[in-house]
Amino acid sequence: MSNYFNTLPLREKLNQLGVCDFMDSSEFVDGVNALKGKKLVIVGCGAQGLNQGLNLRDSGLDVSYTLRKEAIEGKRDSWKNATENSFTVGTYEELIPTADVVINLTPDKQHTAVVNAIMPLMKQGATLLYSHGFNIVEEGMQIRKDLSVIMVAPKCPGSEVRAEYVRGFGVPTLIAVHPENDPEGKGLLQAKAYCVGTGGHKAGVLKSSFVAEVKSDLMGEQTILCGLLQTGSILSFDKMVEKGIDAGYASKLVQYGVEVITEALKQGGITAMMDRLSNVAKIKAFEISEELKDIMRPLFQKHQDDIMSGEFSRIMMVDWANGDKNLLAWRAETGETAFEKTPAGNVKIGDQEYFDNYTLMVAFVRAGVELAFETMVQAGIKPESAYYESLHETPLIANTIARKKLFEMNRVISDTAEYGCYLFDQACKPLLADFMKKVDTDLVGKNFNEGKDGAVDNRALIAVNEAIRSHEVEVIGATLRKAMTAMKAIKTA
Amino acid sequence: MSNPVVHITNLNLWYRQKAVLRDLNWIIYPSDNWLVCGESGSGKTSLAKTIAGLIKANGNIEINFNPEAALPPVIHYVANWYQFKDLEGQSNFYYQQRYNKQSAEVTTTVRAELEDYGKKQKLSFNDALQTVKQLGFSDLLDSTLIQLSSGEHKKLQLVKAVWLAPQMLILDQPYNGLDKQSRENLNILLNAVSAKGTQLILISNDVEIPSCMDRFAEIKNGKLIEISAGERISNPTNDFTPKSIPVFLSESPTPTFSGSVIKMTNVNISYGDKRVLTNINWIVEPGEKWLLQGSNGSGKSTLLSLVCGDHPQAYSNDFSLFGYKRGTGESIWDIKRRIGLISPELHWYFDPSATVWQSVASGFYDSSGLFCEPGSTRSGQVNELLEYFGLREHSKVLMNELPLGKQRLALLARTLIKNPELLILDEPCQGLDQQQTQHFNRLVDGLCKNGTTLIYVGHFESQLPDCIEKKILLENGAVKSAEILLERA
Repeated sequence: MSNYFNTLPLREKLNQLGVCDFMDSSEFVDGVNALKGKKLVIVGCGAQGLNQGLNLRDSGLDVSYTLRKEAIEGKRDSWKNATENSFTVGTYEELIPTADVVINLTPDKQHTAVVNAIMPLMKQGATLLYSHGFNIVEEGMQIRKDLSVIMVAPKCPGSEVRAEYVRGFGVPTLIAVHPENDPEGKGLLQAKAYCVGTGGHKAGVLKSSFVAEVKSDLMGEQTILCGLLQTGSILSFDKMVEKGIDAGYASKLVQYGVEVITEALKQGGITAMMDRLSNVAKIKAFEISEELKDIMRPLFQKHQDDIMSGEFSRIMMVDWANGDKNLLAWRAETGETAFEKTPAGNVKIGDQEYFDNYTLMVAFVRAGVELAFETMVQAGIKPESAYYESLHETPLIANTIARKKLFEMNRVISDTAEYGCYLFDQACKPLLADFMKKVDTDLVGKNFNEGKDGAVDNRALIAVNEAIRSHEVEVIGATLRKAMTAMKAIKTA
Repeated sequence: MSNPVVHITNLNLWYRQKAVLRDLNWIIYPSDNWLVCGESGSGKTSLAKTIAGLIKANGNIEINFNPEAALPPVIHYVANWYQFKDLEGQSNFYYQQRYNKQSAEVTTTVRAELEDYGKKQKLSFNDALQTVKQLGFSDLLDSTLIQLSSGEHKKLQLVKAVWLAPQMLILDQPYNGLDKQSRENLNILLNAVSAKGTQLILISNDVEIPSCMDRFAEIKNGKLIEISAGERISNPTNDFTPKSIPVFLSESPTPTFSGSVIKMTNVNISYGDKRVLTNINWIVEPGEKWLLQGSNGSGKSTLLSLVCGDHPQAYSNDFSLFGYKRGTGESIWDIKRRIGLISPELHWYFDPSATVWQSVASGFYDSSGLFCEPGSTRSGQVNELLEYFGLREHSKVLMNELPLGKQRLALLARTLIKNPELLILDEPCQGLDQQQTQHFNRLVDGLCKNGTTLIYVGHFESQLPDCIEKKILLENGAVKSAEILLERA
């Protein structure tokens, strides 16, 4: 197998990278009809598998689960998840030949083995559904020509997919059809019906391509989503301890701060996040985030280049073949950082205090989101995709840090994201060494406004506001957020 | 007379530019057990939370614990709302989550929760077991928190309070969700803790109260007025009073199916080895008015979750709704659009950030919170029903900014807004006073004249609609009896 993207002529590369269309709700009037009466068989029953299956069945579709023989015989968790919720469970041999749609929700790393096992069993003209395109695009998996290959990727954790469905809503979802495998032209109809089945059509559906999804997803998760949040958190914590701030306070500020700060981002973009700061702090945060963008731009570009060329997936797959040697070593290293080992102190930190005492993180987030977005768009990815893979997902990842710090974040995200995150973190820390030398506790640990009179120059403030608000990520974000109404507010820890 | 335990002078509390408590004065002497009543929104909960130190108000509150007493010198407040957390300390649970089985447990067990509480408060676990037994809670010790029904969560709160036996115990609507036997048991327990020196403040509009209650007060116009025992069932003046039913609700719902509304044949529900429902056979025909009864934990909520399309095990049972056999291509939204549902859980999980108007309108779409723009006809109906329920002035207020009683009225309006074919009213009047309950039941009687099918769950026999004609009684997850109460005219 060879990298699919690299086999394409430039014209077709650009063509597939540039697919992105926010679908109108009128596209879903046909409901689940394209899948009605069809047999849907889900491979794997973890959080995504179980919750998507519960929704699809509650939408009137015929859902069952197929697991490896060992999982069934050993009555493993996946088997319990499926049977205790009254689903039919069977081996690949039992269920795959009956399936009209096979839904592959196993981890990326297992895709090649799983697809090789199920493909010979699939009936003529069936559909294979992925929720991530890595196997097709980076590994170049070749799928039998009579089969349709589609992607449906809800952009939220499995439990949210269920929670939003039962309240009568859904989560934003990305869909795609693999152009090499759409022999009957039914791929898009089935993908849309699947969105209706999971409730995603109510929250906004983005039509993308396998290529655009993979190249933007990898970029987002390595840089702003996981990489920069990890680097920023560790550097902030170390700085506070170095400057004599109480370690328990520092740990709590970092652990929960990123969630509170990015909640504003979720509700109203970079603009809303920056507006939570005082005018003086906002101007300062703007200035240092500009500086951060200049320092980190080459690194963001390198990550995007390695993703586009296939270099990133090549070296990661070498590590897969090597029994995850690097991944496991880096994971252990992260578990040993001082931030990870210092429990959050028993102090009350108010909502506003997270902004006033953690201006540095606001600057990191602005720099990271804008850089990731700009770099993706420059590489040929559409702004809508770039928005989802940068700004939209940042609060979701921040939430995992609030739960149990970086270890939890790295546990929840895919191995692919985790690998990229460590690569970024290792390169980014030395790059920021000089910058961090200048940072003092007014930016992290203490209230930035303390001892300042709060006066600002009108023209300076207007210029800063203008620069923030007119950035393309804000313009596209305002449109997309309007389409995805009803977001739940988080509680302050 | 000895020093007062609590001495409140000129207490003032404002909420959203509205005075809730105005120059309120109250002296609580050591030997007195007070019962406080008042209509929804009068400030009962605010006053209780202020005394417990949970919210701040202007004025003076002096608290003198008895330094010689063996009981812990604290004021413990049992809220009218329950809360629990998952293993990671978060409470992001969702409606019907407890019926979905996930291999990984997300919450701790009742036993672990109590052990943890005992450790924090330095109490002996054996002392708790007595209370656990008296409230009929022993079988639930190994259940996880998420599996508990609302009545069971209420009992857990009460077990903790009685176990702690503080110098002062404030109970805010403690009878909500408790069955008759549990209410009697609670009263026995409260008399016992009172005899051992715990002073009680009970906030309730209920009639059956512990005999140890000896002082009575009502909150009215922001002030606390002492009343006599007989006076407290007076007529509160609230906005929800009988009026003629809005025209759009006085029409018969358009029938959308033929056959029985519900047809269950030997329905079984179990979690692992634990049976929750056993061989349920139940047929509900169009237009029938049923009372569903059973003690806490008898399986009522699980049975209703099947009817509402909320239980995954519906798919492995022989069971039809509105003529569909479950699992034959119907969606849960096809089911829900025919049902108007209110239940303690629906209320608990309802979107707290929706406005009253949005909440009522969301009843058209069976969603928690509003995600569509209702047209002008539907908007007009929402306005009409808000007027009927006396909620017009609150239409733009967020649900979580209203007292529970008002939230409940809004959700009752939501239940009725689409004039459903099947009304499922599971303890609909929790948090309402007796007058409001009566009015609501009259309204239900009126609606049911149009052929609406009704399933009603109520723990208070004296507070039921007149139209009820059949009764099904559950015991330990099985049908104990099904009988006709009233021959149909």
